[in-house]
Amino acid sequence: MTTEAAPRLLEDTPLPPKAGGLYRRQNMWVGLVAGIVLAFIGWLISHALLQGSNWGTDMVVTVTMTCWVIGFNAGVGTFNGPFRWLTNDDQTAEDELYAAGVGQGAKRYFKFCTDHKVVGTQYLVLVMVLFAVGGTLAMMIRTQLITPHSSFMTPQLYNTVVTVHGICMIVATIIMVTGPFTNFIMPIMIGAKDMAFPRLNAASFWVVFSAVPCLLAVFFLGGVNAGWTTYAPLSVQDPPAMDTFALTILVFAASVTLAGVNIIVTIVTMRAEGMTMFRLPIFTWGSMLGSALGLYAMPAFIMAMVLMITDRATGTSFYVAAQGGTGWLWENIFWIMGHPEVYVILIPPVAAMLEVVVTFSRKPLFGYVIVIAALVAIDALSILVWAHHMFTTGWAPDLSGPFMLTTELISIPTGLIFLCVIGTLWKGRIWARLPMFFVYLFLWNFIIGGVTGIYLSDVPADGLFHNDMFVTAHFHYTLMGGAMIAATAALCYWFPKMTGKMLNERIGKIAFWIIAISFQVTYLGMFWEGFEGMPRRVAYYDPTFLHANQMATVGAYALIIGWLVLLYDVIHSWRNGTPAPANPWGAKTLEWKVPTPVPLENFLVEPVVTSDPYTYGEPEKEAPEPAAKPAHEPELIPGGGGT
Amino acid sequence: MTLTAEHGHEEAAGGEPPHGHHQSPAQRHRKEHLALWLFIGGDIVFFALTIFTWFYTRALNTNGMWRGASCTTANPCTDGLGNPLTHEVPTANPWYGVVVAVLIVVAAVLAWSAERSSVQRAGRSSITGASGMALVAVLAAVVVQCIEFGALPFTTVVGTYASTYEFFMGSTLAHALVLSFLALGFLVRSRAGRYDDGQWYQLRLYRIFAVWIAVSVCVLTFVSSVFT
Repeated sequence: MTTEAAPRLLEDTPLPPKAGGLYRRQNMWVGLVAGIVLAFIGWLISHALLQGSNWGTDMVVTVTMTCWVIGFNAGVGTFNGPFRWLTNDDQTAEDELYAAGVGQGAKRYFKFCTDHKVVGTQYLVLVMVLFAVGGTLAMMIRTQLITPHSSFMTPQLYNTVVTVHGICMIVATIIMVTGPFTNFIMPIMIGAKDMAFPRLNAASFWVVFSAVPCLLAVFFLGGVNAGWTTYAPLSVQDPPAMDTFALTILVFAASVTLAGVNIIVTIVTMRAEGMTMFRLPIFTWGSMLGSALGLYAMPAFIMAMVLMITDRATGTSFYVAAQGGTGWLWENIFWIMGHPEVYVILIPPVAAMLEVVVTFSRKPLFGYVIVIAALVAIDALSILVWAHHMFTTGWAPDLSGPFMLTTELISIPTGLIFLCVIGTLWKGRIWARLPMFFVYLFLWNFIIGGVTGIYLSDVPADGLFHNDMFVTAHFHYTLMGGAMIAATAALCYWFPKMTGKMLNERIGKIAFWIIAISFQVTYLGMFWEGFEGMPRRVAYYDPTFLHANQMATVGAYALIIGWLVLLYDVIHSWRNGTPAPANPWGAKTLEWKVPTPVPLENFLVEPVVTSDPYTYGEPEKEAPEPAAKPAHEPELIPGGGGT
Repeated sequence: MTLTAEHGHEEAAGGEPPHGHHQSPAQRHRKEHLALWLFIGGDIVFFALTIFTWFYTRALNTNGMWRGASCTTANPCTDGLGNPLTHEVPTANPWYGVVVAVLIVVAAVLAWSAERSSVQRAGRSSITGASGMALVAVLAAVVVQCIEFGALPFTTVVGTYASTYEFFMGSTLAHALVLSFLALGFLVRSRAGRYDDGQWYQLRLYRIFAVWIAVSVCVLTFVSSVFT
C-alpha cells in the first residue's frame, strides 16, 4: 500500500481545472481589450447624444474615459468579487487559491492576484514606471530651461509637461511605500497571512493601474496648462485633457482610499498573538498613520475634482466667479487635501527608513514611543495648516497668524523624529551598507528641506518667496530628497526579501554618489534661481537667471544618470543577482524570520510574539532563535531558511 | 523580536478554506466592521465638504449669483451659457427631497429589521421580507430623485444655489444606488438562506451603512430646504 504525501506548501495544492471561475479567463490583456472596447462604445454613444450640447466635448471625454476605467477593471477581474457576492455565488476555497496565484507562475503578476506579495511587486513595478515617466518629463523641463528662450518646447507643451510631471510624481510618491513595501512587508511584519481584504488589495492596484492611461491621454487631448494644483478657474477653462486629468485623480484617490482602509484594518485586526500595538515595528505605525491621513485627504481630493468635472461637463458654477462661484472654494478644498497629502507621502517612507536605521545601527529605536507620538501629532497638525498655501491669495488675512503658528508647530514633532534618528545612530555599531548610505543622504536633504519650509511658513517670507523657484527647490528637497531617498533606502533594505536576490552594492554605491552629489547641484541651483527671484512654471526667463538654471540643468542630467544606474542595478540584480539568504541583515522583525521566497501564507506555523521589535544589544535575546518552528526544511526553500 | 511556536496552530487543516478565510465569522465581522467605519469616516469628510460648499458659496454670494436676487431686467446677470438672467432663481420644491429622505429612512429601518430577524432567528421569510421591502424603498428613492431632476425649476447654469442643490441631489443619488446594490444583494442572499442560522454580521454592516446614508440624506435635505 502506498500513500501520497500531503502537499507541504499551500501553493503546492493541486487545483481542479475549473478553480478560479472567471478569473481563469481574465488578465491584464483582457482588461486592456475590454477597456478599449467599452471606451469606444462609450465614445460612440456619448458622441451621438451629447456632442451638440453646450459642454459636449467635455462630457464625451469624461464618459469615454470612465468607460475605459470600468471596462478595464471588469476585464481584469476587479468586479468579480462584488458580483459573485451579489448573485450569492461566493468564491470557493479553490477559487480563492487560484486568485492567490497558485499554479500560475509568473503569469500571476499580470492578473488580478490576491497574494499581497504579488500586489506589492506589481506596485513596485508601477511606481518605477511612473518615476520613469515623471523623470523623463523632468528632463524635458530642465532641457527647456537650459537657455532663456529655448525652442525645445512650446509654452503650451511646457505647461502640460510641468503639470503631468507634477501629478505623476505626486501619484508615484503617495504610493511608493504603501504600495510596494506596506503590501509586501507589513503583513509579514505583524505576523499575518495576508492583508485583511485580499481582493480589495488587488482591486486597489488595478484601479490605480487603470488611471495611468487616463493621465497619459492628456497629451493627446489638448494638454493641460494649470499645473498639478489645477487652480480654478484656469482649470475650468483648459482643453478637454483636463477632464481626463481630473478623472485620473478621482480614480487614483479611490484606489488610495481602498488601500488605506485595507492597511489600517490589517494592522488593527490581523496582528499575531503577542503583537501588541506597542510591539509593532515602527514601519507599521507609519503605514497605518499615513493611511489614516490618506482617508482624510483623499475624499477632499475627490470632492475638488468632482466639482471641477461638473463645472466643466455640466455647467455648474462652483469655481467660476462670473456665475457665482469662487476660486477660493477650489483652493480651500484642494489644500485641505493638499497639505495632509504631503504627510501621506512623507510618513511611510520616514517610518521605513527608521527600520533601516535600527537594523544598521544595531540598537533599539531611540524614543520609540516619542516617534509614535510625533507621527500622531504630525497627522493631527497637518489637517490644520492648509491655508498657508493661500497666504498671498487674500483669503481670510486674519487667519494667516494662526495658520503660520500651526505650520511652524508641525516642525516640532518632525524635529523630534529627526532627533530620534540621531539618538538611534548615536554610539550605534553602524554597519555602512547601501541602505544606510541613503539614510545619511536623507538626513542631509531633509534638514535643508525642513529648514527652508519654516521660512515658507512665515507670512512675510512667504510673500517674498511665493511662486518662485525657492518653493520648487524646497519641496523637491523634502519630497524627493527626503521621502524618495528614504523610500530608496527601504528598497535597498527589503530588496532581498522581495526578490530573493541581493542588490549589487558596488553598482548601488556608484549610483548613490552620483545621486547624492547631483541632487545638491540641481536643487541648490534652484534655490539660487529662487533667491534671484525667478518665478515657477515659466518656459522662458530673463537671462539674469541663466547661470543658476544651467547649474540646475547640469545637475539634473547627472541626477537622472544616477537614477538610471540604480534602475540598472535593480533590474540586473533582480535577474542575475546573488541569491539572498532569509535574513541577510540579521534584522529582528518578523519579515526576516520567514523563508525567502516567502511562502503563500507567509508563516508555516502561526507566530506568537514575545518581545519588543528591536532587541539589539540585549545579550539574552541576541542568540539566534528559530523562525517559529520550521514546518519545511530550510534546504527545500530556495534562498535558505535560516540566517 | 522573539517568536515562539508553542501556541501556534495549524488552522488550514481545520476544514476552513485555506486562503483568505482564515477567521471565524466573529473575527471577520470585526474586520469588516472596522473597514465599514473607516469608509464611513471618509464619506463623512466628503459629506462635510459638501455642506461646506453650500454654506460657503451661499455666504460669499459672488456677484449676487447665489440665487441671483439682484438680477433684474434693467440690470441682468449672466448665466453659465452667456444668457441674461433677469430674475431671482426659484427654490426647488422641498417635498421631493423630503420624500427621498423618508424613503431612505424607511430602507434603513427595514435593514435594521432584517438584522434583528436574523439575530433572533426569526426565519428566512422574515429576513427576506425586510430585505425585499428595503430594496423597494431605496429603488423608490432613486426613482423620486430622478423625477426631481426632471422637475427642477432651474438648470445647473443659473448660479451656485442651483449648482449646489443639484450636487446634493447627485450625491444622494449616488449613495442610494450603492445602497440599492447592497439591498439587492441581501435580498438574493437572504432568499438563499445565507442569514438563517444567526449569520447576521453582514446584515449589521448593511444596517450601519444604511443608517449613515439615512442620516446624511436627512441633513442634506434639511440644509437644502431651509437655508435657501
